Amino acid sequence: MEKGLFSLIGDNLQQFIQYTGFYNATFNHIIMIAIGLTFIYLAIKKEWEPMLLVPIGFGIIVGNIPFFPGLSIGVYEEGSVLNILYQGVIKGWYPPLIFLGIGAMTDFSSLISNPKLLLIGAAAQFGIFGAYAIALLMGFSAADAGAIGIIGGADGPTAIFLSSRLAPNLMGAIAVSAYSYMALVPVIQPPVMKLFTTKKERLIRMKPARAVSQTEKILFPLIGFLLTCFIVPSGLPLLGMLFFGNLLKESGVTRRLAETARGPLIDVITILIGLTVGASTQADKFLQLTSVYIFILGALSFVIATSAGVLFVKLFNLFLKEGNKINPLIGNAGVSAVPDSARVSQVVGQQYDNTNHLLMHAMGPNVAGVIGSAVAAGILLGFLS
Amino acid sequence: MKKITKIFLLLGFLFVSLSLAAQSQGDMRINEFLVNNTNDFEDDFGHKSGWIELFNSSYGTVNIGGCYLTNDPANLTKYIIPKGDILTKIPPRQHTIFWADNEPFRGTFHVNFKLEDSQEILFVASDGKTIIDRIKIPVDQLDTNVSYGRSIDGIGKTDGSEGWQVMDRTSPSTNNEGVDSVPKSVTIKKADPYGIIMALTAMSVVFLALVVLYLVFKQVGKHNIKRSRERSVVSMSESSKPKAANVSAEVYAAIAASLHAYWQGDDNHDIENTILTITKVTKNYSPWSSKIYTLRETPHKK
Repeated sequence: MEKGLFSLIGDNLQQFIQYTGFYNATFNHIIMIAIGLTFIYLAIKKEWEPMLLVPIGFGIIVGNIPFFPGLSIGVYEEGSVLNILYQGVIKGWYPPLIFLGIGAMTDFSSLISNPKLLLIGAAAQFGIFGAYAIALLMGFSAADAGAIGIIGGADGPTAIFLSSRLAPNLMGAIAVSAYSYMALVPVIQPPVMKLFTTKKERLIRMKPARAVSQTEKILFPLIGFLLTCFIVPSGLPLLGMLFFGNLLKESGVTRRLAETARGPLIDVITILIGLTVGASTQADKFLQLTSVYIFILGALSFVIATSAGVLFVKLFNLFLKEGNKINPLIGNAGVSAVPDSARVSQVVGQQYDNTNHLLMHAMGPNVAGVIGSAVAAGILLGFLS
Repeated sequence: MKKITKIFLLLGFLFVSLSLAAQSQGDMRINEFLVNNTNDFEDDFGHKSGWIELFNSSYGTVNIGGCYLTNDPANLTKYIIPKGDILTKIPPRQHTIFWADNEPFRGTFHVNFKLEDSQEILFVASDGKTIIDRIKIPVDQLDTNVSYGRSIDGIGKTDGSEGWQVMDRTSPSTNNEGVDSVPKSVTIKKADPYGIIMALTAMSVVFLALVVLYLVFKQVGKHNIKRSRERSVVSMSESSKPKAANVSAEVYAAIAASLHAYWQGDDNHDIENTILTITKVTKNYSPWSSKIYTLRETPHKK
């Protein structure tokens, strides 16, 4: 009897031990937890995109707690809480909601006042297709290459949206790579900007933007939506929500809705998307050579996008009259990392002339980049899905 | 005016509800059928009989419970597809098979007629009147175990006049054009291994979209600048006219006070000097609404 009792306790203890994280931990789990902790450190100590890196970093830790499979707790276990939250990523409905918030907080005035800046936003999308071509050369399938290339758009939600459609197996690595490089925009872009510009070009002063009327602000999301979606209907989920959010902001009669979209709603979705994308990077799925390639391609796509934006402005300047010229330091802002890349233009510009304020000029291509990357994502989806 | 708006709104809602209806049963298509089955697909009872394949051509689930299948244009409600069977919910772009064995008691998917005796197959909406799809059976073209179907699933007219062919092989519950088609991304990689064509095409489309937007907003901007100039010219010409609005509020107040004093007789005032002084008081701040007094002091580190 006593022996039976002790044996039962022993069995239970043994089972308990087998269920613990210590028992199930592997070296890969430890590496991933270390990566998660590094993200949190960078977010808190260095303040690199804390809104993104804190949820993602913590999500990485959540996703890499070693556990005995079958308890319905993991992000890949059907019906678990994390799995249910992860559906917003898999089915692709978090990114459009984020775009709704972005639309409701974006002021397109600088773009409306100087619409030629839209073209810089288009040029910078070359990063996406440059990375796509290199990924094909590295042996990725066309769908995987498209999903990887979109990292060059510097837009986390777009990257998640497209990869969930084209390459769900690579989504974790693509999302983490996209958000990491977005956080590293102030590190990656300045050397490229300086490499392709002369000192004289960096000192170009741009004409101040004209005042934009309320009517123009209301017309922009309506016309923008109709034109872009008629050309690229596959961009509808992202472009539709972006312009809808902007209409809520600019209409002047839906203030409460706009405030919800750019405040509580986008915050909730950012928390969920960050946490679940982080949790999806389970060691066995994330720690692969493919992830390393994706990180390399992601860096390359950012460099190509920045170069393309800067070089396009230089080319464009050849056709512009003196006085109308554009400072090529705002070319980097064609990627859609809003407002980080515009801030980089301002900082680099001020290093050469501290009275030359480029921020508002750079916001034009920056928001054009948001539209451009959504259009590019729509094209890739249309061609490759 | 309000009435017209209401009528427009009503019409709008009607249009939307009609289009919603159009996205449901109306998207179902007769996709393939086999009349004489001796050596082909067999049902769960192990019997071989003629079959009719329906295809949901939409991208949403369609419930066909309550719709009708018939081989008689004069009797559109010959076989009602039972309601309440979960299997009558056809997922997007999926197929379902009905056995034409005249054995309806065998279940939802066994109709009460045989194709050997039929000239035509009709799929009818749940109202029992609207024919959604119909196809005449080309009896003389069909051998035993040879099916007749749409060349591409769901594509072609709904009166059978276009898009149908004698099939090389039967494909019950699967794509008529074959399931071994190469995925788009594989074809693209084969045709464009370095991604150059894709890059050029896609960049052209991105530029096209944003150039169109640029051109439109260039014009909108020009128009707006022109309008604001016109407005400023008008307002300048108006401002050159003498205007009562230039008189300050204090003057009005003084006039009103004097008139009041005059009409009241001078009962309200004793003898005063004749200078009326009005000081404008603006009080934007009030300690009652101040947030400072409702917050605790921030603790200082010493």
